[in-house]
Amino acid sequence: MTANASPQRSPEVPSVDRFERIVDEFQRRLYGFALRMTGNREDAEEIVQDAFVRAFRALGKMSPEQRSELRLQPWLYTITLNVTRNRLRSKRPTNVALDSLADPDALLNNTQEGPEQPEQVVERGTDLELVEKALLQLPMHLREAATLRFIEGRSHPEIAEILDQPIGTVKSHVHRAVRILRRILGPEVGRVVKAEEPINAV
Amino acid sequence: MRCSDVEALWDDVRTGQEPRSERAVAHLRRCKDCQAVYEQYEGVAYCLTCLPIVEPPVHLVPRIYDHIKALRNRYRSKLSDSVARVESPLGTLWVAWRDSGITFVGIDRGEDEETQVASIERRLSRPVRVVQAPDWIQTAVRDFFATWQVDMSRVDISGLSPFEQAALRKAAQIPPGEVRSYGWIAREIGHPQAARAVGQAMARNPVALFFPCHRVVDANGALHNYGYGVEVKARILAMEGYVKTGR
Repeated sequence: MTANASPQRSPEVPSVDRFERIVDEFQRRLYGFALRMTGNREDAEEIVQDAFVRAFRALGKMSPEQRSELRLQPWLYTITLNVTRNRLRSKRPTNVALDSLADPDALLNNTQEGPEQPEQVVERGTDLELVEKALLQLPMHLREAATLRFIEGRSHPEIAEILDQPIGTVKSHVHRAVRILRRILGPEVGRVVKAEEPINAV
Repeated sequence: MRCSDVEALWDDVRTGQEPRSERAVAHLRRCKDCQAVYEQYEGVAYCLTCLPIVEPPVHLVPRIYDHIKALRNRYRSKLSDSVARVESPLGTLWVAWRDSGITFVGIDRGEDEETQVASIERRLSRPVRVVQAPDWIQTAVRDFFATWQVDMSRVDISGLSPFEQAALRKAAQIPPGEVRSYGWIAREIGHPQAARAVGQAMARNPVALFFPCHRVVDANGALHNYGYGVEVKARILAMEGYVKTGR
């Protein structure tokens, strides 16, 4: 296993014996991710617990070779995503996001005429609650892409790995998510930001 | 380059990893509409990065630890053998078993439980859990002391080497109250030179009594050795009705 020594330091091979370390290292990140995906603290908490239990079981069934080749972080994201999808599917069959998945145009039209007018975004400045809600209005697959890209700060190839999608699909989903968010948050969203501070690239 | 193409390239342009960036930037310089769109996209990205990091509740990690602990225990109980104290005419015995059968029989050495359990775990190379003896274990022990024989289908020595297994199975063919030599077993199992190895296999017998290594003695009939002391070996043989007839 140590035959082909690589110049980088080899990270510790994940194992069930030292699973607590994995929990310590990733719990904050995965909780934050689940929270952004669900908008609900209780859901996020349950999802993270389920995800770690699943990860523990899966790790226990892997051979040492499989474990040494495992890319832990994307793998944990993928598990968390699967748990999240299952939970949202079973819990809220008439979720806003799922409705809009069936008819994204309706979502765009609704939000344009909805209670959140562009002026309000400007008035309230960086009203983060609005941003949170806007994210939750996205169809699931677009929310996944946008959250991983801009909140979790993952690169396109990383997201492709997590979602098991071609990079082109990832880029297209990210773009569509941003387009819809821009429509929801209003054309002034850029001006709000400009007034605040310079934009840092993710 | 059309405006829609330039818009779609926004995230690539900002990360600078897109070979078509230059053309997109050139387009941007002269297209006010696209500039506005890029600005708004940046606004969206910025808003998302501004979302606060919410700390998980303090009980989250302890709860996950609890789940993991429970899983480990369940996993362990599948791997581990059960062990119980069973009373016998020879005093207290330690008997370990798993689904496949009895894996260990030993005579209580009078040490504290932890020490004896640890030595059983070492002998079996896996964890054991101390429990109450179920009926079938009690019955197996009672039957042994009534007949000095054991239903071998209830004993599992599959963890031993083929040689050790062969030697022990041959020992089990020695009738109660009789003895055979290490050399006899070696010859019987087709390794006539391996009397010493037979001695080692007897010494490593994890299922004392049931695999009657106490019936295996020196070529000249001396009791030689026993894991629980030669006196115990003599006592067991006496209980079985062995009468030393040798020189």
